[in-house]
Amino acid sequence: MGNFDLLKVKGVSRRDFMKLIAATTAALGLPELIVPQAANALEQALKKPPVIWLEGMDCTGCTESAISTLNPSPAELILDMLSIRYHETIMAGSGHTSEEAYQEALKEKFVLVVEGSCPGKEEQDRFCMIGGRPFRKILLESAQKAQVILAIGSCASEGAGIPGACASGAVGVAEILRNEGINKPVINLPCCPVKPNTLIGTILYYLTYQKAPELDAQNRPVAFYGSLLHDNCPRRGHFESGNFLTDWNDPLQKEYCLILKGCKGPKTYTDCAQVWWNDNANFCINAGSPCSGCSEKDFYDGFSPLYAKQEIFKLPGVGQVNADTVGAVIGGAAAVGLGAHLIATAASGRLSKKDHKEDV
Amino acid sequence: MAKVVIDPLTRIEGHLRVEVEVENGKVVDAHVIGTMYRGIEAMLRGRDPRDATYVTERVCGVCAGSHGWASSLALDKAYGANVPAGGRLIRNLILGAMYLHDHPLHFYHLSALDYIDVIAVAQYQGKDPGLLAVKDKIVKLVTAGDTAPLTPRYKPDAFSVNDPELVTMAVAHYLKALEMQAKAKKMSALFAGKQPHQSSIVVGGVTMLPSIGVVEQFRSMLYEQLDFIEKTYLQDVLTFGTGPLLPLAQAGVGGGSPNYLSYGGFARDDAGKDMFFKAGVIMDGNLSSIKSVDEAKITEDVQYSWYKASANGKTPYTEDTVPDLDKKGAYTFVKAPRYDAKPIEVGPLARMLVMQPKGLMDIIAKYNIKPGAVARHAARAYETLLMAKDMFNWIDALEKEMGSKEFRIHDTDHWEAPATGQGAGMVEAPRGALGHFIKVADHKIENYQMVVPTTWNFSPRDDKGVRGPVEEALIGVPVPDLENPVNIVRVVRSYDPCLACAIHLIHPETNQIKKFQIGW
Repeated sequence: MGNFDLLKVKGVSRRDFMKLIAATTAALGLPELIVPQAANALEQALKKPPVIWLEGMDCTGCTESAISTLNPSPAELILDMLSIRYHETIMAGSGHTSEEAYQEALKEKFVLVVEGSCPGKEEQDRFCMIGGRPFRKILLESAQKAQVILAIGSCASEGAGIPGACASGAVGVAEILRNEGINKPVINLPCCPVKPNTLIGTILYYLTYQKAPELDAQNRPVAFYGSLLHDNCPRRGHFESGNFLTDWNDPLQKEYCLILKGCKGPKTYTDCAQVWWNDNANFCINAGSPCSGCSEKDFYDGFSPLYAKQEIFKLPGVGQVNADTVGAVIGGAAAVGLGAHLIATAASGRLSKKDHKEDV
Repeated sequence: MAKVVIDPLTRIEGHLRVEVEVENGKVVDAHVIGTMYRGIEAMLRGRDPRDATYVTERVCGVCAGSHGWASSLALDKAYGANVPAGGRLIRNLILGAMYLHDHPLHFYHLSALDYIDVIAVAQYQGKDPGLLAVKDKIVKLVTAGDTAPLTPRYKPDAFSVNDPELVTMAVAHYLKALEMQAKAKKMSALFAGKQPHQSSIVVGGVTMLPSIGVVEQFRSMLYEQLDFIEKTYLQDVLTFGTGPLLPLAQAGVGGGSPNYLSYGGFARDDAGKDMFFKAGVIMDGNLSSIKSVDEAKITEDVQYSWYKASANGKTPYTEDTVPDLDKKGAYTFVKAPRYDAKPIEVGPLARMLVMQPKGLMDIIAKYNIKPGAVARHAARAYETLLMAKDMFNWIDALEKEMGSKEFRIHDTDHWEAPATGQGAGMVEAPRGALGHFIKVADHKIENYQMVVPTTWNFSPRDDKGVRGPVEEALIGVPVPDLENPVNIVRVVRSYDPCLACAIHLIHPETNQIKKFQIGW
């Protein structure tokens, strides 16, 4: 049986299939070049890739986010693109039937998707038990056998997001593996929840090239996390002009910079400004809410309080301030030089009197 | 007597283990067990109170928005904020759209696979092109030997629907509903920033100053949702509930505690007098006596939970909760909330029994449906229809407000934390009565507590040894085949459990708070 016949048997016409691949790559900001390559690789591989999707200390928000995609549709994602063998929220089976599905999938060349954080140490195992077994052990077992590991959402990524700030000892997937001395790469796809485009795009890339895309220092794909939100923010002009939102009711301030409301954009690498959420319906900053920095390992604990004015960010560029530098300073890397910027900024009169007063 | 353990109990939110004892083919005892804990409320202590709306929003990604909403209402009270009409209406629309997402998703994607034998699609003999395409798809999946995640599963039983026509229609609607739930989230995101985990709801109102274009887009998407809810979702629930599942419905399988609680929710006026969902309490199944809700009657027991007995009383404002993993007799991370010392069911069935809308009550009377798993699905579908219809009034009201020069979405004067304050945010989440309780001291969170729907429904035994609502609902449920306890999962899923919501605790000794300081 040829590959294309196999494709047909899978219930997908070639036209639909190419449409799906093209839509996926376009929507995900992947180069169009990979369309034929992706199609070819998927055809070769088809067999849809078996997926084990584990949920640890999670809220199911990443699953909900994955199926909020409209292009490709959620049905295409879960029935046509992937073979989801184990996923507690979606699968038909329960109890021993789901356990059997998991064991069977372990024998294959599967993709491991992990949603939620994991208790970091044995003494915390009781905080997350599945099927009578510690989630930590299930994760270690499947991670060692997986062909590729995707940690999705802030909880599973470095820093472990909100659970990472809790007392239950939650850590991300990579840290669990490091703790056990397991040297296996993890692709982190943070954001709270995961953005559908980063998840689908990364899987597609992996299936096409059989390797991880280029990753940054936090092991996030550069394609999605390579640019600073602040540099692409539609409100950047207002930041530069010193126009900061202080009243959400004022139509004149509607597009103003959200720094005074606690925006973490200057320290956050994400494609939120370019690829909006929910089929491009909206994103936090467009909705007038400050970026919480949820794609960064410092989220949540390092960025709290989320809505407090972080005066240090409120630096309209004197000349051309490199927002990267501002970000690094905020992270505590180098406090030197900031004072000079601030003084210059205040002197240049870009901070209105009102803003300035509020900062005190 | 035989013991049956289902773990993980899938197609719910979170991690749930159910243990039942079966005698003569029926359940005689049951324990429901929450097996995951994060400790989110503990982490909130000492933080800027505004963080609570953002952080508790992330307690659950399925009923997304609900916790942020409840939290904002608690903070509004603690801050003394007056949410303007625009803020109130936008919050309602954000949450209303999530009901349109939640309920059909629960029916088609979390529950339906318990009632239909998917493989019967192969026998479809009709001529409907849409259904033939579904048949084609399923047959090809079967031919290719890869039907995940539709298999493996429990074996179909006597109640499983295997009429090819009905099953093919249900599978077609399963696929359609996948698209509709994504669109409902998109609707919500128009005002919310994104979904799940909206970012627009804050203390004092919302952050999204809407444009008329967004209002129009929301309204047109609402028409599409209403059409689907009315002609597809509700029809399917009624077709199944009054058809092949009527014996289950009339027998009241999965009935549970005959007590029902609704806090009410979705204010239609600024004073909060006119609520879309009515508040009320029903005790002992007496539907003719709806009592008003008394917050002081809410307590939480922990004798069977992995927590030390509270030294400071049992009310949500006062209780202290310290984990005790080795506690003798304890079996779950879920606490046992009680209303007036009784277990009580919350959720769509409770809301609809408090409201008693004529259309639904007529159906219940006509088919002699008893409270139970099927009645819960019917109540859920019916309230989705009521919600979608009322949302047109809300979007109209918002548009009218936007025409006013005084249009406001946020109480700017109450943005900074007060020195002290406390407040409760009591709302109806899709899964039922949800309460957030906050105490503010020295401009920081002193205490934060959530009493959530799944804690009510999936509570363990209380201090008197009385089972929680779901444990009680499982008693008497038929389990003719121990290897195939499909009725158990049907009953459990009818409550739409969310275990991530249900488990939380305060751990003052180990609560470490790191501060993000910026030096000048």
